Amino acid sequence: MENEIEVKELTKFYGSLLAVDHVSFEVKNREIFGLLGPNGAGKTTTIRMICGMLRPTGGTAVIAGFDVSQKPQEAKRRIGLVPDISNLFGELSARVNLEFMGKLYGLDRKTRRERIDQVLELFQLRERQNDLVKYYSKGMHRRLTIAAALIHQPEILVMDEPTSGLDAQTARLVREIIIDLNKEGRTILLATHQIDEADKLAQRVGIIDHGRLIKLDTPEQIKNSTEGMHALEIKILNELDQQRWIPIIGKTEGVDKVFLAEGKIRILSKDLSHMIPTVVNLVDKHGGKIENISVAQPTLEDAFINLTGKSIREEPMSKEEDVRRRMARSGLR
Amino acid sequence: MKPFTPLMHSVWIAENDLRQSFKSVRHVVWSLLFPIFMMFTFSFRYGATGPDIQFINFLIPGIVGMTAMFGSINETMSIVWDKSLGVFDRILAAPVSSISIIVGKTMAGAVMGVISAVVLLIIGSTLFGVSFANISAVLLIILLASFSFTGIGTIISGLASEPREAMMLSNLLRFPMMFLGGVFFPIEAMPTPLPYVARAMPLTYATEALRAIQALNTPVVFLDAMVLLAYTVGTILFGSQILMRIMTR
Repeated sequence: MENEIEVKELTKFYGSLLAVDHVSFEVKNREIFGLLGPNGAGKTTTIRMICGMLRPTGGTAVIAGFDVSQKPQEAKRRIGLVPDISNLFGELSARVNLEFMGKLYGLDRKTRRERIDQVLELFQLRERQNDLVKYYSKGMHRRLTIAAALIHQPEILVMDEPTSGLDAQTARLVREIIIDLNKEGRTILLATHQIDEADKLAQRVGIIDHGRLIKLDTPEQIKNSTEGMHALEIKILNELDQQRWIPIIGKTEGVDKVFLAEGKIRILSKDLSHMIPTVVNLVDKHGGKIENISVAQPTLEDAFINLTGKSIREEPMSKEEDVRRRMARSGLR
Repeated sequence: MKPFTPLMHSVWIAENDLRQSFKSVRHVVWSLLFPIFMMFTFSFRYGATGPDIQFINFLIPGIVGMTAMFGSINETMSIVWDKSLGVFDRILAAPVSSISIIVGKTMAGAVMGVISAVVLLIIGSTLFGVSFANISAVLLIILLASFSFTGIGTIISGLASEPREAMMLSNLLRFPMMFLGGVFFPIEAMPTPLPYVARAMPLTYATEALRAIQALNTPVVFLDAMVLLAYTVGTILFGSQILMRIMTR
């Protein structure tokens, strides 16, 4: 089977709020597909529909040949879901949690025991297997959540913000696990708002915003969509509030986009030769001094901003987006 | 899929819920301490210096019914906690039917109700020598009552959007039921229209049936059992409908 996941015109309304708007994409066999978008973009709602936890208002999701709406049990059996929160039973031990999941997926006692030992070993949780999960660290929670999703050895792994809220070291470990799982032959659908994560891990990326899929391609091709555009990075000396320079620089002619990225002001422009002296003069005119200035390669984030007109990390969530996110996340009432 | 798989899913879901409830010793102790406290407090009546044995014979069946109510409704509150903590999603993402989930949650509620009530029954019988002529009939009434309270708990858990709301809603039902359900006072002694209100509550029929077993009044036991059965079917069907709508929305 070439495509493990086929999503066609998937749509979800929460009352009058359109959370997912005719989203279509395919995830190929053994591919890591990134669904990239800001919080409240509709990623979790899309994932919930794909995993059969939410009924679509329109459209279809087919998992390994099984339509989720018509054959939910068959489709669910092929998916391992790693949700955005570690939703394990805190009052139970890791082993008992895994035992329960194994039972729900129909594993017999012997297979359960073998698989539990396997995943506990793989995720380095064997020594703490009998401790209550509520006493686990965030990183251990995350590892156990992934372990629980793998207990029935699914061919498809659906991961919603797998590294969100983790420290850099644990996030790196989780990303290595994702790569290893993909190498083992698993198809991975990865929903993330972290551009770096999608760029490094995904073979193809779908950019989703306001419930709509606005771009679908390889990270390289998406970056190429900024063709002819250059990125200029500057840092103003002794300036704690780099943000205040954004509107000042943004008004300059020839600046296509300007935003903060990792503490630096990033300027996208098609006319770099003209832009450098203009920006230097502008900063000087407003009483600032440039600490450093450099020309950079356009990144996936630049492409994202170019496509959506906003930064994925800096954009504050609107009230509507917040409501949509809450509804999508709660999944229930 | 094997023929008994949906039922086994329910059993595992119930087992998992009960395992969590019993894991927390404090949870179990606190939930039993309240009816035990009520039992001892009300065993002294009208300024008597020692427990009033005649009143205790009246009180224990009521306390047993009330304990089943608290046990069952408390246990079904796990649904709303599961919803808010996201663990419900874990079950929804698994190849388990919605009906299996509802049956599992209902089983857990009923089992908790029965266990709690039986513990109070044992304490009451041991300490105060209260005896029942037909223990099988007592267990049947406790079971039916526990199922009907579970149905009520399921409705509350389905309607509530978060745990605090569920607790408030359940208190709104449990406390009037406790005081009007004939646990501490005979409903015949209540002023009108309270007996009519009491007759709308399943706890009234549970306590009445348990007392009728003591008095060997079979027709009343049978009639009350039928009412509890009707309550069970009605509340569980209604609660299931609410949960089903949430799970398949």
